[in-house]
Amino acid sequence: MIPQIMQDWMTQIAAVVRLEMKKTFFSKRGIWVYLLALAPAAIYLMYSLTEIANREQRQQLAAAHPVSTAALRSIKTNMKLEEVLERAGEPYARRDFSQFRFGNKGKGKGPPVGQQIVTMQYTDGDSIYSYTFVDGNLVGINQRDRSTIPKDSLIFATVFQFFYLRLAVFFGCVGVFANLFRGEMLDKSLHFYLLTPVRREVLAVGKYLAGLTATVVIFTTSTFLQLAALAWHFSRQEVSEYLNGPGWGHVGAYLGVTAAACVGYGSVFLAVGLLFRNPIVPAAAVLIWESANLYLPATLKKISVIFYLQSLSPVVAPPDADLPSILKLLITSAEPVSTAAAILGLILVTVAVLALAGRQARRLEINYSAD
Amino acid sequence: MTGHVTTDRVVFDNVSRFYGEVLGVNRVTLSIPPGITSLVGPNGSGKTTLMNLITGLVRPTRGEIQVLGIAASNPAELFKVVGYATQFDSFPRGLTGFEFIYSYLRLFGMSHKDCERTTAFALGRVNLGEAANRKVAGYSKGMRQRIKLAQAIAHNPRVLVLDEPLNGLDPLVRAETIALFREFASEGRHVIVSSHILHEVDSISDQVILLSNGYVVAEGQIKGVRDEMREHPMQVLIRCNRPGALASRVFEQDHVVEVRLHADGGGLLVKTRDADRFYKALNHLAMDGIGIESVAPADDSVNSLYEYLIGGEESTR
Repeated sequence: MIPQIMQDWMTQIAAVVRLEMKKTFFSKRGIWVYLLALAPAAIYLMYSLTEIANREQRQQLAAAHPVSTAALRSIKTNMKLEEVLERAGEPYARRDFSQFRFGNKGKGKGPPVGQQIVTMQYTDGDSIYSYTFVDGNLVGINQRDRSTIPKDSLIFATVFQFFYLRLAVFFGCVGVFANLFRGEMLDKSLHFYLLTPVRREVLAVGKYLAGLTATVVIFTTSTFLQLAALAWHFSRQEVSEYLNGPGWGHVGAYLGVTAAACVGYGSVFLAVGLLFRNPIVPAAAVLIWESANLYLPATLKKISVIFYLQSLSPVVAPPDADLPSILKLLITSAEPVSTAAAILGLILVTVAVLALAGRQARRLEINYSAD
Repeated sequence: MTGHVTTDRVVFDNVSRFYGEVLGVNRVTLSIPPGITSLVGPNGSGKTTLMNLITGLVRPTRGEIQVLGIAASNPAELFKVVGYATQFDSFPRGLTGFEFIYSYLRLFGMSHKDCERTTAFALGRVNLGEAANRKVAGYSKGMRQRIKLAQAIAHNPRVLVLDEPLNGLDPLVRAETIALFREFASEGRHVIVSSHILHEVDSISDQVILLSNGYVVAEGQIKGVRDEMREHPMQVLIRCNRPGALASRVFEQDHVVEVRLHADGGGLLVKTRDADRFYKALNHLAMDGIGIESVAPADDSVNSLYEYLIGGEESTR
């Protein structure tokens, strides 16, 4: 049996959510949140369309210049040009040119020495093989394979953790949650809420849930669209095999992590909107804190949202390969926590921040001229 | 403090409010009874701060406020009995008049049906029924004033707080709105109004609170306040057939400080420190054969009170 007071609060929360929903979903100010959320899906779609076009082109070339995968893989460095032609036939692309270098006599001041360079490209319909010959000897092999689901899932994991969570969801939550109170302060319409018999903490929870509903719908939809767009260029059989394997688990986990990011960042930015007149500066500070998470000591890592989100992510994204080695040295690792512990940790962080927001809401005054 | 909870009054107990270094109101102690109470004062005198304090939109730096025995810091209980139309001329975006009233009424815990009925009733009371489905953003200034009033009265509050509610209203709507205030007051409710339009306040108020620079300089019924101002003699206009004779007779009274004859020879202006004794004496004089046509207080108005109390440098309209 739910006590009457709780029932009243739930009714009021539902009324706040209803009132906020229209503002959150259909506000002109919020268009950039949609753009931010949908940008990765658009990029993945373009990538897939490019992959489809490339695959069709490779298949056409393979039909015109047929060669087996086995024949191409049997080609090794130091083979002669003639030998390669014998095994693989005529390439679909060939380029012959001469390269001149100065000789070694007198510190590069010797007479120029000519080299005959030949590059040849073959395809078996899936991969592209490039061979480079110098004076008739094979010196370099480059194999560009078609995309595979494991390879793309690693790309997705990296983009998801380093761009989508840390930038798109992060700034989307800044835009939505920081404006729940601050936006109405600027519009001078917040007082209408404060003139109703609603506890300020209940109002804060209602607004938070409204923002959460909006961001979860927008960003999980985007996550799903990203996955769909990325899978677009794979065959139905490949997708089916992936989904029947770890695929559905990954999809569910990514959607869950996206929702969890909205839960965590949402609470932080609701509090920021209540505590600060200009939420941009504290938002930048939170961004720096979250970005520096990789380099923080293990204990401090846990006082962040991204730590729990990474622990919940189904695929571990490798650190950026181009990272300077000095920064690589600074990376510290904290044992990723279990799913249950990550969810619990995130809930604890969220509840603590929401309690702070509720306390601040209770102290809220209407003084629009100061805002 | 009054020492006990007064459940039919709006009580300020030594309330001060500062905005940083700036004074909002200072050492305000009031006990406002039911009826129409006007807060009068120039811009910056503390009227809006006082209203925001009553409704908990700002908190006192010092002191306590209770509305019908409910602390102003307890919105969950306070707004069951208080309605407030602020001076802010801004509204949530994209809502029609009906949606605006309805949406906030839902926060009072009413059912959908009750909210619809109550919204329609409130809009009808301020004559906005026909504009109910138009966006508030497209309303005229007068309509926006009325929709704020509708929002304040929709939940049938016992205390109605209205910041400059007559601004922007045409004469007809103004009269209807004043009638609505009177109707509320006649039911034993509080109607607390701030206004710069002094002659209207004068005609509608049961009591006034005069504010200057954050201080309450006088409070009570207009006549009562006036009577207490012994240092400012009250002026009485008398039209009669023998103003010279009457002037010499009234000047014999020790409380009469000045008598001026009208240039037209048909009346005189008397300044007295004790209006009650003066009116009694006038009755005797009338019986002595002086034909008195009319007697009227010349300065028994908020405007003159205000000028007396805070001087000409802060004159209001």
